Parts: sequence; C-alpha cells; structure tokens
Amino acid sequence: MSSPVPQPRTRVTRIAQEAVDKARLSVVPRVRTRAPRVPFVTLVSLVLVGGIVGLLLFNTSMQQASFTAAALETQADTLAGREQTLRMELDELRDPQRVAMQAQQMGMVIPPAPVFLDLETGKTSGVRTPATKDDAIQLVPPAPPMPAVLAPAPTVVEVPPAAAAPEPVVEEQAQATERRKKNRDR
Amino acid sequence: MLRLRIGFVLIAIVLSFFGARLVQLQGVDPQAYALRAAAEGAARVTLVAERGDILDRNGVPLADSIKGKMVVADPALTADRAPEIARLLSDRLSVDYFRTLTALRGRQEGSRYEYVARRVPSTLASDTLAEIDAAGFSGISLQDDPIRDYPAGDVAANLLGYMGTDEPLGGFERTFDEQLAGVDGEATWQSTSGKGVRIPLRESTLKAAQNGAPLRTTIDRDLQWFTQKVLAETVQQYRAASGSAIVMDTRTGEILALADVPTFDANEPSEADEEDLGSRAMNDTYEPGSVQKVLTAASLIDAGRASARQRFKVPGSLPRQDRVIGDWFDHGNIRLTLAGIIAKSSNIGTVLAADAFSPVELVSYLQRFGLGQRTDIGVRGETAGILTAGEAMTSQTKDRVAFGQSLSVNVAQMAAAVNTIANGGVLVSPSIISGSAVTDDGTTVGTDVATRTRVVSKQAARATAKMMEKVVDPEDGVAPAAQVPGYLVAGKTGTAQRVNPDTGLYDGSTSVSFGGFAPADDARFTVYVVIHAPKGDAGGGSTAGPVFSRIMGYVLGRYGVEPTGGKPSRLPVEW
Repeated sequence: MSSPVPQPRTRVTRIAQEAVDKARLSVVPRVRTRAPRVPFVTLVSLVLVGGIVGLLLFNTSMQQASFTAAALETQADTLAGREQTLRMELDELRDPQRVAMQAQQMGMVIPPAPVFLDLETGKTSGVRTPATKDDAIQLVPPAPPMPAVLAPAPTVVEVPPAAAAPEPVVEEQAQATERRKKNRDR
Repeated sequence: MLRLRIGFVLIAIVLSFFGARLVQLQGVDPQAYALRAAAEGAARVTLVAERGDILDRNGVPLADSIKGKMVVADPALTADRAPEIARLLSDRLSVDYFRTLTALRGRQEGSRYEYVARRVPSTLASDTLAEIDAAGFSGISLQDDPIRDYPAGDVAANLLGYMGTDEPLGGFERTFDEQLAGVDGEATWQSTSGKGVRIPLRESTLKAAQNGAPLRTTIDRDLQWFTQKVLAETVQQYRAASGSAIVMDTRTGEILALADVPTFDANEPSEADEEDLGSRAMNDTYEPGSVQKVLTAASLIDAGRASARQRFKVPGSLPRQDRVIGDWFDHGNIRLTLAGIIAKSSNIGTVLAADAFSPVELVSYLQRFGLGQRTDIGVRGETAGILTAGEAMTSQTKDRVAFGQSLSVNVAQMAAAVNTIANGGVLVSPSIISGSAVTDDGTTVGTDVATRTRVVSKQAARATAKMMEKVVDPEDGVAPAAQVPGYLVAGKTGTAQRVNPDTGLYDGSTSVSFGGFAPADDARFTVYVVIHAPKGDAGGGSTAGPVFSRIMGYVLGRYGVEPTGGKPSRLPVEW
C-alpha cells in the first residue's frame, strides 16, 4: 500500500472515499407489488368452464349424433326393405307366366316358327305360317278330375210321360253342370 | 394435534374400506363383475349375410333373397296382455291366432324367447311393430330373417332346389351353398335402450357380414318357362308319368333349358310330391331307344364301315341266337339305304349295319360320345347311366345296344351325344353353370371347365345329319311333326320299353323321345325331349316330335337365327 510518491495519494484516497460512499449498499424499504390476480383467475376459470361446457356440448352432440345415426339406420333398413319388397313385386310382375297369361288373354300367341323381316330390303325370310288360336299354349293345368265321392253322376229320373215332374230333373242336372263348372274353375 | 390425528384415523378407516372393496372386486371374482358390467346395456346383433341370388344367363333372378324379419316375443312381458297382442299379430301377419297366443304366453315356464312368425317381409314386420308400440304393448321385437324368393315359382325349380327353415334342402341351393350362403357378421355396442342407439365412445365392434356370391346359370328363364309349359301340356295330354326336355347351345354346350314335368313351386316345396323335387332328367336313367341309332350310324361312317348310301336288304324279322329282332312296322323284305334305316327307324337294318363293329369297337365309340359317364354339370344325384363294357358284352347285347336298348342314359348325356353330331363331330361337355363354381363335393363345374373332344370326323357328322334330315321328311320319314316351318331340321325319334325299377323287367310302358337340331346345315341348338310312360297311341315322332318343333321354333326365333336357306337332304332311302 505504501507508495514512493505520497502527494498524489491524498487525492486518490479522496476519490476512493467518494466511490466507496457512493457504492455503499443500503437497505431499501420493501415494496410488495402484487400482480393482479383477477385476470388470471378469470382466465383459468374461463378455460375450465369453457372446457367443461365444450366437453358437455361435444358429448351432447355425439349423443345426438348417435340418436340420429340410429334413426337413420332404421330408416335405411326400412327403405332397403321396401326397395327389396318392390323389386320382388317387380320380379313377380315379370314372371313369364303372368306375362303370358295377359298376352294370351289379349289374343296373342307364340308362333310356331319365326319369320324375319329385313328392314332395309323389306324382304322376309322364313315360311310365313299363320299364328292361330291353336298355337296358344295351355298356361294353367286343367283341374284334376274330382273323385266320384265329390262329383257323383247326375241322378237321372225317368220322366213319366204325362206328369208335371220334369222341373226337379232339369234343376238337378243344371246343378250338376254348375258344380262341374265350379270344379273346372278351381 | 388431536384434531389432526382424529382426521387421519378417519381417513384411514374410509380408505381401508375402499381397499377391502378393491380386493373383493379384483381379487375374489373379477370375471363375474366384468361380465355383468359388459352385459349391462350391451347389445349384440348378428348381421345376417344376404344369400347370393341364382341368376339366369341374362342376369334375371331365378332365386333371390329379400330382407325379412322374424317376430320374437318375450313372454315375461307379453303374457299378461297375450290375447290382445295375439289378435293384432294374427290380423296383420296372417298367423294362426292360437299358436301366437301360446307363443306369447310362453311354451315353457320362464321362457324369454318365442318365435311368433318367421320370414315376414321387413316392411310388413316393421309396420306391425310400430302399430304394436303405438298400442302400448311391449315385449315384441324383430330380428333379421332373410326370405328366399323364387319370383317365377316353378320355373327351373327342379334345378334350383329349395330352402328349408334354415338350410338348403336340394338342388343348386344345396350344391353351391358354400358360395351362396356367405358369412354372418356380428356387431356389439353399448346401448341405453333397445332401439339401437349406441353410447358414443364406448366399446363397440363391427364384423361386417360377407354376402353370398351370386350363382349364374346358363338357363334362359323365358325359354325354360316355355319349355316347361309345352312339355307339361303334352305330358298331360298323353297322361304320361313324367317328361323331360333340354335345350342346348350346339357350339358351347350351354344348357339353355332343362325342364322336368311334373315340377313344383319352389316357394312351396312342402306342398309338392316328394318325388317331383329332384331333377328326373338327371337322376333317372332310361333306355334311349332309337335316338341311339344316330350314334351307331355316325360311328360306323367315321370308322369307314358304312356310308349313308350303303344298301341293306332288310328282312321282316331277324333271328339272332335264341331271339328274334323285329321292327316297329310290319314289312317283308325291303331294300333300305343306311339313310333309309335311320329315316324309317329300322332296328333290323341298324343291327345289320352294326355287324361291321365288334362290341368293343361300338362301346368305345359310345363311351367317347359320353354315354356311361356322368356329365358332372352340377346337378345333384346325377346318374351315370349304364353301358356294359365292350369286353363283357355279348353279341346279342351289342345288337340291342346298336338300336338303343340294353343301355341307359340320362337326358343331358343323350342331348350332348346328339349335339356332337350337330357340332360337326366334336363333343362339347354340357354345362349349366356360367363361369365356374365348386360343388359341395369339391368338383369344379361350369362353362370355364367345359371340354371339347372330337368323337367322329366332320364328314361323318355331316353325313349323319343329312340322314337325320330324312327323319322329319313328310314322305320318307317317321316324324314330319317335328318340322319347324322354314328351317332344315335334323332329328331322330326314339321309342323304348321302360324297365320297372322294382322288378328290373320291361313293364310294357314306353319312353318316347325326339332329339334333333336346327338349322341342320349350320346347327345352333339341340333340343331333346323324352316323355315317359305315355298312355294311348304315342310314339317318338307323334308325341315328342311336336314338342321338339314348338321348342325349336321358339328358341330359333328368340335368338334370331334365320333360316339358312340350305337345300334339303336328297339321300335316297330305298334302292
């Protein structure tokens, strides 16, 4: 610390003293600055409430979607069923037997042999054979004959020449014919 | 400090209860609780696979599946109001009231599941269920139960087969069940109600059902219908026991129609006679009779042992060993060509011509025509027919085989054999399945596996066809009724005695048949008709011939085959 040049030393000491004075730390009074709590709490609660409400809404909407899905599924099922039923009806309408019945009722028959008409030349090939009623095919098999028990032979009553008895006989025969007709219709 | 301790003790007591419960739940019987938890609100539904359709060659369904429902009752819920529910159900679903009542009350004590109705069209079922709900009843539910429908009723029923309650019982339905049935799937989910509403985010699984694959046949539905009708009319007219007819595409061997009479309505198989349920055409054998003569003639020509114009002196009767062979018509010594023998269907002439063959030679030709072997087209229970091996055949048997007796065939075999002549000597194996399919015994069948084998030369086939044209000749032939106006038709009649299956002897009845093709010079279709045990005056030409003519006329028109304008055969029949 000793210096060969004492003079300037005094000055230096003074400056140092000042610096030391300046640099001395002193206790500053404590200032408590609180960050405002309200915004944070509000934010957190908002997030929470938002989340919960969102979750609730999401859940509800999923539940709703599930109900809608179930309803739509049922509807799709019903519609698919209806479509298939309709297609079945269509197929039954296309049944060759049904078409033939109607065609034959309208007087159409399937010809025994085809004849071709060339649209360009107007010429026909094949032998032109008239399609007649005889070409109609039997579409419904005839009813099997009734067993004798159910279709007894008509009772024939000898009519006395001068009596007024013919009425019941005619009636009986008519009934028998009627009955046979009915059988045929079956 | 005391308060703190008391608090800790209380918490410890509560926690120990929790712990004990935990041990009880997890340690003692965890499975039962897990199951109960899963069962609570769990729904498990079988997703029923839709059965594949059976289609005709144009994609028209011969058999199709429709969504249906089974109506199921829970007697625990329905028993109290059974009469009211039963009345509603029997009204709407046309089910028996008393049976419904029994089901609703439970057939057994404590039953929770009873069928009320099965295979109800789904629209009707859901409408009825809505009505039941609206009326305030509970305990009725619906489950999937597909309906098998045959829109055209009896068309091809003998081939299609039919369904029992849950399983196929015959025909294609059974043979190709693996392909048609598909695989049922399953779905599970957690539900709050029975209405299919799922709880989101809860466990749910879905294994989709694999629907059955459609089976496409080579049948033409309209043609099949027509064939059945024409055949049925004749079978009825002659009060015959049964009849079969087949229409085959000459070039591809595809069977366009295979009809059996009597048949049945595939929608109501239980109402049919059990014997009518199969395909007689494929399952029954019979002696082909004179149609067989064309095979003998074609073989002889192919082997160079005869020609169409070859001359034969045909006596009125021909003693062979201890038997005498006769013809169907009385004649003295007549001079016929081979063409005349075919045209007039002379047994004696055929035997004389076939003398050029040893039994082994004849049988080997017939085997190549496909006789004695199953066609394996995919029809159940097909018979192979009977053809004695050449080495074991006596000359007497050979004589009879030459004109179509002492051997038996099924309809597809015989049609394929006649078709060989039509197809220029090449046998196309017949098929009834379009593409390919695997039968229940593992055989692959269908057009994809059809084979072609040359049996006789083209010239031999042509010469035979020319001879067959003479059969329908109004002057020289025996079957003018088989003509189709405008077309050249080649064919052959057959009348054979029938063997009674019980006694093994001829019973006096006959099988009359006609097989042929048109146009004769460029054949497109082969039709073969056989009618078993007709009564009255019946013959191959007069009975089966007109059926052949109608079917052939229809199929030619339907497929737009114009007349070829070829010259009719001018082979001499006599000399």
